[in-house]
Amino acid sequence: MLKFWKLATLAFALVFFMTACSSDKTDTKEDSYSETEHGEIVPSITILSSTPEANQTQYEAANMAAAEWRKLGIDVTVRPIEFNTMVDRVFNGEDHDFDVYTIGWSGRAERLDPDMFTYSILHSSNAGPGGNNSSGFVHAAFDELASAQRQEMDIDKRREMIFQTQEIIADEVPFVTTYVPMFVQAYNNERFTDVPLMVGEGIFSEWLPYYVKPLADDKVLRVGSTYDLNTLNPLDASTAYEWRILRLIYDKLVRVSLEGAPTPAAASGWDVIDDTTVDVFVREGMTFHDGNPVTAEDVKFSFDFQIEHNPGYFLAFIDPIESVEVVNDTTVRFNLKYPYAPFVNNTLAQIPIIPKHYWENVMEEQGISSPADFPNLDPIGSGPMTFNHWRRGEEISLSTNNDFYHNIEISGMIYRLYGQMEGIMAGLQRKDIDTLSDPMIPAHINQSRGIEHLNVTETGSIGFQFLGFNLRRVPFDNKEFRNALAHTIDFHTIVDAHLEGYGGLGGAGLNINDANQFWHNPNVTRPAFEPSKAREILEAAGYTWDSQGRLRLPAN
Amino acid sequence: MASYIARRIFQMLVSLFIVATLIFFLFRLMPGDPTAAMVDPSIPLEARQQLIAQYGLDQSLWVQYKVFLSDLVKLDFGNSFYYKRSVTDILGDKLAATLILMFAAMIFAYGFGIFGGAWMAWRRGSFLESTAITMALVFRSAPTFWVGIIFIYFFSVRLGWFPSSGMRSPGEEVNNMFQLFFSWDFVKHLILPAIVASLLFLATPLLIMRNTMLEVLGEDFIEMARAKGLKERVILYRHAARNALLPVVTAGALFVGSAIGGQVLLEYVFSWPGLGQEIVLSAQRHDYPLAQGSFIIMAAMVMVMNLVADILYAYLDPRISY
Repeated sequence: MLKFWKLATLAFALVFFMTACSSDKTDTKEDSYSETEHGEIVPSITILSSTPEANQTQYEAANMAAAEWRKLGIDVTVRPIEFNTMVDRVFNGEDHDFDVYTIGWSGRAERLDPDMFTYSILHSSNAGPGGNNSSGFVHAAFDELASAQRQEMDIDKRREMIFQTQEIIADEVPFVTTYVPMFVQAYNNERFTDVPLMVGEGIFSEWLPYYVKPLADDKVLRVGSTYDLNTLNPLDASTAYEWRILRLIYDKLVRVSLEGAPTPAAASGWDVIDDTTVDVFVREGMTFHDGNPVTAEDVKFSFDFQIEHNPGYFLAFIDPIESVEVVNDTTVRFNLKYPYAPFVNNTLAQIPIIPKHYWENVMEEQGISSPADFPNLDPIGSGPMTFNHWRRGEEISLSTNNDFYHNIEISGMIYRLYGQMEGIMAGLQRKDIDTLSDPMIPAHINQSRGIEHLNVTETGSIGFQFLGFNLRRVPFDNKEFRNALAHTIDFHTIVDAHLEGYGGLGGAGLNINDANQFWHNPNVTRPAFEPSKAREILEAAGYTWDSQGRLRLPAN
Repeated sequence: MASYIARRIFQMLVSLFIVATLIFFLFRLMPGDPTAAMVDPSIPLEARQQLIAQYGLDQSLWVQYKVFLSDLVKLDFGNSFYYKRSVTDILGDKLAATLILMFAAMIFAYGFGIFGGAWMAWRRGSFLESTAITMALVFRSAPTFWVGIIFIYFFSVRLGWFPSSGMRSPGEEVNNMFQLFFSWDFVKHLILPAIVASLLFLATPLLIMRNTMLEVLGEDFIEMARAKGLKERVILYRHAARNALLPVVTAGALFVGSAIGGQVLLEYVFSWPGLGQEIVLSAQRHDYPLAQGSFIIMAAMVMVMNLVADILYAYLDPRISY
């Protein structure tokens, strides 16, 4: 026993001696270090991340990034905060009090047009409080392109501009996309077939009733969801979930196809006369669900009424309209204030056609000051589905509009509300519902694959989840620094480990991903996960490390 | 008695005023801005400011408080920020669903608890009694959502006896209030969540009943009844149980008061469109009017039920007078 203690003491002394020696060595090295001029210590960084409950993947991504940044000698803290508090601080805060944040943009159909993910989230005019440019990205050449593309009516020229903006963003790195969510869903293959999949929307897109084919005698398609609605009033609706139902009841002049191209809907076609004049031809023989015909007057009224009463949700889309004229029974002319490229893709494809006779006097009849206050409990549109009933918190029931100009094989749809995804999974398993509107979590995807009556579908998303930098602050005001950090995000691990493979890879400044085939620039090169490269970039940019390994800003 | 009730009602109003004030300021102390939850961040700034003005959130806290109180006196809880509908409407829809579920659970729990408790006291020390106590305590301490998930898995997904979620089958047509809650379809949906909830509540009446029964069974009048040669069942239920009911009634009245909050997790697991979930969401969304309304109603309900229990007590026990 004594022998052991002697040995241990000896070993301890040896280690102590060696450490002392090596620290001597560092001391001598420090001398040479002190000759190099150090700048300030890189300030401590706080990453405001999603809570693990709200978005586990983003929470993990933030922690992985923090671990890499610490290795670079930066003091980093990860602080999970609740979503509303995050939005409040990052988007609305007057003082822009944050360093790094994680959040995402969902890939709704109207965002297939590149304007939202280019102009709206990155143009310098949107960098103020309440604007969508939360990173405070300001870049003259980018601004010029972003403004020009939305006024370029020639689609090829516009595409070229969008491609250039993507190169600038990848080079400037105002944010790093951590991953691209994937829509994995399932449907009952015993009851339905030919389920269409739409980029960014998955199964429950506006095309679902157009193409889906019933196999059983009961032709009602039941869709499970966890998102409750507030209203079925098109002048009041302010969430994507409400529009997913409303666009089935109300028709639109144009619908964006499964591939993302504008296709005629209530319009039989359109003619771009010049940069600020567009003629739209109203399809003949259409009727509203109450039997009244859909006329050019109704179309004009729909736009005028919504412009006058200013529904916030579509503000950006209707703002460019100067006036709407009825040219003849089937032609409506739109005069624009300025050329607006997303006009057909967004404005015509989003604004619902509402019956004039129903809305015209609604304020006097109801004694309300705004049509947004009208409950609209029996919505009348001209879309593919007619309204049956809505039991709040339970379900919305729709029937097929048999007079619709497109043949629809199902006889109705039911939007069924569940408290949580677990309930939806049980519903699918028990055949209470046929499909779902939300993306599935990996555990349910694997479970669904083992269930014979379920087909699992995968659709890419045009939305993205990202790690945003506050460019108004040191050290993120430095482009090289951001570029270095772009090398520290382990995109593959995020997708493979945290999403079990059900997602797309992120990348520096990746705002328009390859799911949006037409607008995605495939030739942009982006930094790969390579922490040693980050160190090289920092060193080349004049960053130094002090004796304690802390990263210091370039001197001078 | 009348003056006692009047005094109690006055006290209730004072407590309600204090509760309302606390609730008003507590919600406004939470970090975050209600408009962030109401408005999509991609909506322009002007639209957001317009909303802030519309809801009076640009006014000083004191002005907001005065408006809140004067509306409250008129029993007007205002309009929900999130749903843009009157709070009374929203609570009305959901309150009925929650109360029906809670009452069904209560009937199961108290019906079974009272008879079971009496029986357990009678069979004190037997193997069956200790098993029953253990089971009641297991369900009391097991998380409801877990029991719920297990029940859904076995009785709904595996055996297919009951529906797995909601109040009605998809697409079920309902033409009036009666059909809404008095149809076979509704009852089928009610059974499983009500049983799970009652398993949680069961321990309280069961054990209270058992304990008071044990006391009562030692009383002289039971001895007397035995001496008269009455049947055991008659002694147990007609003589002993009636005297042991008092504390159970109190517990029951208080239970009704707290039932309005529902069982949030239970409603969540069974996708029951009740108030519980709504209350949690309204606090999360910073929907002040809805959150305030539901908490005030909850507080009022607990107070009213306390009063009812006190009055009932005087009625059931002649020794108590006010």
